[in-house]
Amino acid sequence: MENVLELKDVWKIYDLGKIKLEVLRGVSFYIKKGDFVVVLGPSGSGKSTLLNMMSCLDVPTKGQVFLDGKDVSVFSEDKLAIVRGEKIGFVFQQFNLLPHLTAIQNVVLPTLFRGTSFQEKTERAKEILSSVGLSSRLNHKPSELSGGEKQRVAISRALINNPEIIVADEPTGNVDSKTGAHIMELLENLNKKEGRTVVVVTHDAELEKFSNKIIRIRDGNLIKK
Amino acid sequence: MNTEYFKIALRNLKSRSMRSWLTVLGIVIGIFLVVSLLSLSEGLKDSVMRELKMMGGDILIVYPGDGSDIVTTMMGGVELKDKEIEAIKRAEGVDIVLEMPFTGSVVRHFQETKMALIYGIDLDDGLPLLRDNMGWEMTSGEFPRPGRREVMVGNLVPKDLFPEMMVGDSINIQGKEFTVSGVLRSLGNKQDDLVIALDLDDFRSTTGKREGTPVAMVQLYEGYDAEIAAENIERELEQSMTRRRDEDSPSFSVMTSETVTNMVDSIMGTVQLAVIAFASIAILVGGIGIMNTMYTSVKERTKEIGILKAVGAKRSDITKIFLFEAGIIGIIGGIGGVVLGLLLAISVEIYFSQIHPVFYLEAHISIWLILFGLGFSFAVGCLSGFFPARQGAKMKPVDALRYE
Repeated sequence: MENVLELKDVWKIYDLGKIKLEVLRGVSFYIKKGDFVVVLGPSGSGKSTLLNMMSCLDVPTKGQVFLDGKDVSVFSEDKLAIVRGEKIGFVFQQFNLLPHLTAIQNVVLPTLFRGTSFQEKTERAKEILSSVGLSSRLNHKPSELSGGEKQRVAISRALINNPEIIVADEPTGNVDSKTGAHIMELLENLNKKEGRTVVVVTHDAELEKFSNKIIRIRDGNLIKK
Repeated sequence: MNTEYFKIALRNLKSRSMRSWLTVLGIVIGIFLVVSLLSLSEGLKDSVMRELKMMGGDILIVYPGDGSDIVTTMMGGVELKDKEIEAIKRAEGVDIVLEMPFTGSVVRHFQETKMALIYGIDLDDGLPLLRDNMGWEMTSGEFPRPGRREVMVGNLVPKDLFPEMMVGDSINIQGKEFTVSGVLRSLGNKQDDLVIALDLDDFRSTTGKREGTPVAMVQLYEGYDAEIAAENIERELEQSMTRRRDEDSPSFSVMTSETVTNMVDSIMGTVQLAVIAFASIAILVGGIGIMNTMYTSVKERTKEIGILKAVGAKRSDITKIFLFEAGIIGIIGGIGGVVLGLLLAISVEIYFSQIHPVFYLEAHISIWLILFGLGFSFAVGCLSGFFPARQGAKMKPVDALRYE
């Protein structure tokens, strides 16, 4: 199987003036197509920064990030934006839905920046929302939805552009355990049934059981088991 | 795709409607000033020009004093005497010279006594000139005939001065009886429309002013060049004055319809420039208002910008969304300003034409002024939105997402 994502000696150093903060210290790993990866680490371990590198939200200070064989660490900001829109689906801990848009509008949002027509994508958004059990919530705003429902809208939004990888940052962090289990089940289904590559970043070791590959991080270094 | 940005921008504005409307108001005021003042000053220019157009190209006006200060000349009682009139008549190209002396006088109509402006006009020579070149016409009755003690009155005389007056009535000017032979069509300003005009000989004998006129109209032979004739008149007048050593020789001015038009043009041009300058300041303030609102908006929506960038929005996409917002504020302000400005201009027009007709002012409402108002407000909106939009677009997605 080909590598969808590969990090080679990735460093992220924040220059805070007097001190240089090394958040990632030479991280290397790869993710194959169809993997379900859990990135595990305590807070402050650098896992959020690692997620930013993997999802093209940020570029490393040193090292390379290959997405689909292309070195995105040298991409311009706009090029990264296009890559994010096409190949990455985001699921955030805080859901990050736009409050003044309805569920379906939030789901369609990423297609806007790809020049595709809203109309044809609206049909697809409906299908996706139905598949996560939200067919009766299409025109509700985030404030009218429960935490679990919001996260399902966020997952639907991640799927709208048919991305290579779904990157989830603490997807169960803001919902109760029962809902959390449901969210994970949903991600597992996307991985098993649709063969999508899923990366979950968490501090919750419970989620290990869903993965076929675990990446542990502490103080900016990967821990080999 | 742009229609979607438009919708997003509109939704964003609606979600902060109070602030949006206040920002719009800033632009409304500026555009309102531009549209109302420009349409009125242009209208004023039009009405002055229309009056001037009644004066044909082969008519010159001669008055004493130099052209720089007409008011002093008129108020100072300086007059062209008979000798000067003779000199003008001698000038090459001159066909008819019409003296137009006027004075305020007590006039009685039945039991009513009022002050009115009376004009003396040579009914033999002058009347055809006024009829053909100045657009004098009768709405009722007939032009007066010389030697019959008849007068014609301006169209506001039977309305404002002597409300019951009819053609055929007799009026009393300084103890002498005259018959109203006809009423003139409006001449375009209130002063002229309140006039009572009588034959020059009657004027002289009634008022006791044996000679002199503050202004003379000159008709040239057909086809004679107005500029050359003006020079001829000036030369003759100078010669006649140097012969009279014993008197101070006042200067004099000869105006062609062209010089009058140019003068009005340049005065109104200055007025309009001032109008535009003041209104521009108002619009500038409105633009700063938009900029302020947009900076606040960008700051408030940092997180939203982060989300949009995470799901694939490029810098240009973010810029567009914010520019659309600023542009919408601008154009709505422009529409509001244009509508209010036109309303004011039309109200002023109605006020002067129907309620209080001092002079005839028609607001000049041109499609260009409206388009200019809208285009300008949109441009100000976009310009004011540009820097805030760029600030939003430049945010790093990671930082923006972390913003709470």
